[in-house]
Amino acid sequence: MQHSKARSPGLWERAIGACALAVLAAVLAGVCIQQARFDPAVMVAAVAPQAAPAPAVPGLLDQWPAGLAPMGGAETFAPATLSDKIDGKADLYLSAGFVSLRDQRVKLSGGQGSWTEMFVYDMGLPANAFSVFSSQRRPGAADAGIADYSYEADNELCLVHGRYYVELVCSDPSVSARRAAEALARAYVGATAVAEHANIGAEEALFPPEGLVAGSVSLVPSDVFGFDRLKNVFVARYRVGGNEVTLFAAKRGGPGEAAKEAAELRGFFVADCGGTETPAPPAPPGAAIIDLGGSFEAVFAMGPYLAGVHQAADRDTALAWLAVLDRRIGGGKP
Amino acid sequence: MNPSARGPEPLATRREFFRRGLSAGAAIAATGGIGAWLLDRHPPGDFGRTRSLDLRRDFSVRSAGPAMAIARGRDRPGMLRRALAAMGGIGRFIATGDRVMLKVNAAFATPALLGATTHPELLAELVRLCRAAGAASVVVTDNPINAPESCFELTGIGAAARSAGADLFIPGPGAFRAGTLPSGRLIRDWPVLYEPFAGVTKLIGVAPVKSHHRAGASMTMKNWYGLLGGRRNQFHQDIDGIIVELAMLVKPTLVVLDGTDSMMTNGPTGGSLADLKATSTLVVATDAVAADAFGATLLGRTFRDLPYLVRAGESGLGTTDFESLHPARVPAPAS
Repeated sequence: MQHSKARSPGLWERAIGACALAVLAAVLAGVCIQQARFDPAVMVAAVAPQAAPAPAVPGLLDQWPAGLAPMGGAETFAPATLSDKIDGKADLYLSAGFVSLRDQRVKLSGGQGSWTEMFVYDMGLPANAFSVFSSQRRPGAADAGIADYSYEADNELCLVHGRYYVELVCSDPSVSARRAAEALARAYVGATAVAEHANIGAEEALFPPEGLVAGSVSLVPSDVFGFDRLKNVFVARYRVGGNEVTLFAAKRGGPGEAAKEAAELRGFFVADCGGTETPAPPAPPGAAIIDLGGSFEAVFAMGPYLAGVHQAADRDTALAWLAVLDRRIGGGKP
Repeated sequence: MNPSARGPEPLATRREFFRRGLSAGAAIAATGGIGAWLLDRHPPGDFGRTRSLDLRRDFSVRSAGPAMAIARGRDRPGMLRRALAAMGGIGRFIATGDRVMLKVNAAFATPALLGATTHPELLAELVRLCRAAGAASVVVTDNPINAPESCFELTGIGAAARSAGADLFIPGPGAFRAGTLPSGRLIRDWPVLYEPFAGVTKLIGVAPVKSHHRAGASMTMKNWYGLLGGRRNQFHQDIDGIIVELAMLVKPTLVVLDGTDSMMTNGPTGGSLADLKATSTLVVATDAVAADAFGATLLGRTFRDLPYLVRAGESGLGTTDFESLHPARVPAPAS
């Protein structure tokens, strides 16, 4: 007995099948578009509307210096919650490799309400800690002589201890408050072992000492000069005869990498900043000077080093500093 | 092998037809069941249970028209009084029976002398002036996400508000409602401060002049950021966009911009007195865009350096040409 008859799908069946496939394709496209669109409301459904209270964490010190007592428990913040504590400044830390923040307030006994807040940023690496330290260094601040690097500016004491960047903010600039901050800093450094200390001696030596603005050597972690692909570059400010200029230098993995980044930075100044290349300078080889219409940029690569001059007032100034850097990096110093 | 050589496929038997039909039905039912099981009818927070509201609010006093005063000096309460007097007195903006909200900047638990938050002396004087103008109530609020009680107390804002006769509103999770700015791209179904606005008839923003690592500057427009709840840090992706949308969301009665000491660097938190510069200026204005455009000059910039000001001006939310408001210039009193 024959149970089936041979036949082909009809026109309607084909049409309905095509329609079903079209609907499925439209749904898929809709999902993809919706997912690609920035919609913060999605996050509302994903998290509680208010930040949960930070869990209690151990105090920053087991033993507090004499005359100081914690006002409450310590708080801790992760990359996702850092802005709850420091709002828009979080980006500065996040771009430099931020791992965590612990902070705690300490009261001075007999200090008429004086208190100090101690922030301990774990930046993962000593270089990262130096980066956030140096980029916020207050001009003219006095060296505090504590830990790897430190300074004191009015009511604030900041330091780098290995991978940690520590800020001590006093509620007033009184002598007693500042001495308390110093005691806290020394106690923290003494109680906290670090595997590696911060040391930028080699990078600092790339910059000539003449005309250097004291304390101006800093490590910019990202978005250097507004170029989002340029990262981890040391910069130093110079002041000669009332004119300011910035020099920059960075050691890369090898000559190829340095040359590639120099070419990219050069391209950024020309293509993105509307600069114009001026005649090539006599030295160093491959260097370029770009006129940005009011200021001049100089870029070159030498061995593993990327270096140059930022915001020189005129081409002659850029040339002069370029020659200084050429001698400094290429002439055996360091 | 040529497929056509196989000929048409045979029709299914009745048994085969039922078997396939049951299989397909079971698959559809299982898929639907899993979908229903996974559906979250009540997302976290209260925001899934309530309809998103259009929370645009306009507290401007149209009859007062645009006005601005720039006072010089070091004494915040005195500058505020003289600026308001030059604008025709606070009675031009606050009437008897008004219920006034003062939106301060209490974002950080830092002492007032660091200039990161609204100065308590300025706040207290503003509360007193509102009361003297006949305000039925004055409420002071902000939404510092981290440790709000500490923020209000350590800044001195809480004590200043209470001592001057204002109520302090510290937002809890229930103080927010899902709000949408109809023309907005960012503020959509987002928790916006709602509860303290109940019955409020006038709104005054009070903020210091600060540099801001992300936005360039934080002044009266950025101050509305404190109206947002939730994980608002993600708006840092488009900080200019959110500041402009907040300016669309609320039109204040007045803004007070405190540039007595401006935070020139390391904002918005600061931390050191070295970050401050004595710029000895206080601005009162009906137009937050104009106030901030002037405030930019205290930071050594122009409004063109701050994209949100450019966009706000282009969107008609105010004028970046603050001189067009013919601001009253109030010199410092002779000492």
